Amino acid sequence: MSDPTDHDQPAQPQRRRALRIGAAGAVAVVSIRPAMAQAYGSVLTCEIPVPDPGQAGSYIDPSGKVVPAGTRGAYAPPGRPLKGEDIRRALASGGNLPGVDYERSRAYLKYVQNLRSGTTGFTCFASLQMPRR
Amino acid sequence: MMDATRYRAPQASDLSMVDLDELVAIFHRASGITHLVASPVPELLIALSGRWLTLDGIEQEFELVDGNRAGLASIMDELVAAGLIERRA
Amino acid sequence: MKHVFGVQVGPVTFRIGSAWRKPITQLQALYRDYPKDGGVPDFTVRLAPLRPWRRWIRPAVAIGGDFVIPDAAPLPLDQGLLAAEMGMNLQMALGQRRFLLLHAAAVERDGCAIVLTGESGAGKSTLAALLQGRGWRLMADEFVLLDPMTGLIHPFPRPVSLKNDSIDVVARALPHSEWGPLISDTPKGTIRHLVPQAHAVAGAKSPARPRLLLFPRFCAAPDQRVVGAGEAFVRLTQASTNYVVLGERGFLALTRLVSDVTRVAIDYPDADTAAAMIEGLW
Repeated sequence: MSDPTDHDQPAQPQRRRALRIGAAGAVAVVSIRPAMAQAYGSVLTCEIPVPDPGQAGSYIDPSGKVVPAGTRGAYAPPGRPLKGEDIRRALASGGNLPGVDYERSRAYLKYVQNLRSGTTGFTCFASLQMPRR
Repeated sequence: MMDATRYRAPQASDLSMVDLDELVAIFHRASGITHLVASPVPELLIALSGRWLTLDGIEQEFELVDGNRAGLASIMDELVAAGLIERRA
Repeated sequence: MKHVFGVQVGPVTFRIGSAWRKPITQLQALYRDYPKDGGVPDFTVRLAPLRPWRRWIRPAVAIGGDFVIPDAAPLPLDQGLLAAEMGMNLQMALGQRRFLLLHAAAVERDGCAIVLTGESGAGKSTLAALLQGRGWRLMADEFVLLDPMTGLIHPFPRPVSLKNDSIDVVARALPHSEWGPLISDTPKGTIRHLVPQAHAVAGAKSPARPRLLLFPRFCAAPDQRVVGAGEAFVRLTQASTNYVVLGERGFLALTRLVSDVTRVAIDYPDADTAAAMIEGLW
């Protein structure tokens, strides 16, 4: 019988199972983030009014904020609501909205990106963010 | 100084695991989220099921192959971020 | 609403109400041979003017119903049929709970089904339409209905929405087909609906066991490769509009589907090549 304090006696090792760690930096977990059902709205052309109808006529400053009409350095709103497809393309490619110059496009897009739930156009914008099938 | 950080996985009854070739799909009932993982994650989830273990504790049960403690810690970080593992300092 | 149309497509019943008569007349023609269920519908679609005067002045159809997308743009009245079809798609995409929905096409032979899945524009609807001429029954072109309890695919054979060049390709391949009206100047170009063959409509109550999961891609150089179950699973979660909502039922249904089928990605330059590859895999 071995003395428990006798450290010269080698312990019987339990046979451990192998745990294959794998390459550094490799992803261990992929969490499924399925496309939102509303992303199906890509079948419909969703639109975002800039600014929302409650502030119709107001201008958009270069940071996308809604400011009083006529504010210096701000841009008049687009005549028609922006189409979801055009926004998606402009955000993805960094290009302009069709028929709109660079700075004005950036201002409108910043407005869109700042949309919060409850503002008209938020659902359309949210559906643009979801991964396409 | 020994790192006392402990990790715990959900009870087995809270996870539904299905093998899909070399990957494992996991439905985490408490969150309703689906995850896709590969070895060594399923082994870790089973070993830590409903019990707290430190990294030392994990290495007492498993021999790390093709990697080291740093790699294991990195995997644990990912699992914590995904919500599959709880961590306590 | 003034004008009403009810129809059953596979296991789902719809009621479409419209402020205008024309879309209803067009639906009646398109769905002439479909069963018309008069009972309580599963889903309601409403085609209404955005503002009262838009019923007559630059008439525009807003798509309403049990489930809506709040910011959807209205369609011009001459695309009213398209609005009705989109409305039905929307009800399914947002409201279907009984079946796991996959954005996919499906065809059947001998009680077993091929599910064709892939990106919009990959050609799966066109391919499914063309396979009708090669001994396959069309089960679905837009939504595949997977029953979580049984693992069976249930038919949902709506008229096939074909676009631009596909219209002529299919018209030439299936010369005795019936079509809806030609709808031009839509956001996706020209659209025309192909009425599924008689046995597809007649067989709309007959489910099938999924046997082959195909990822077709219209591409110059033909190619074929096996798809792993994990990859197929992830791709299908992205192709489902109600996977999350179904919770564990959806998880079990989808893991079972990818485990039970043969999974292949094919690149095909034309329908003949695709059909030949499919026969080889069947």
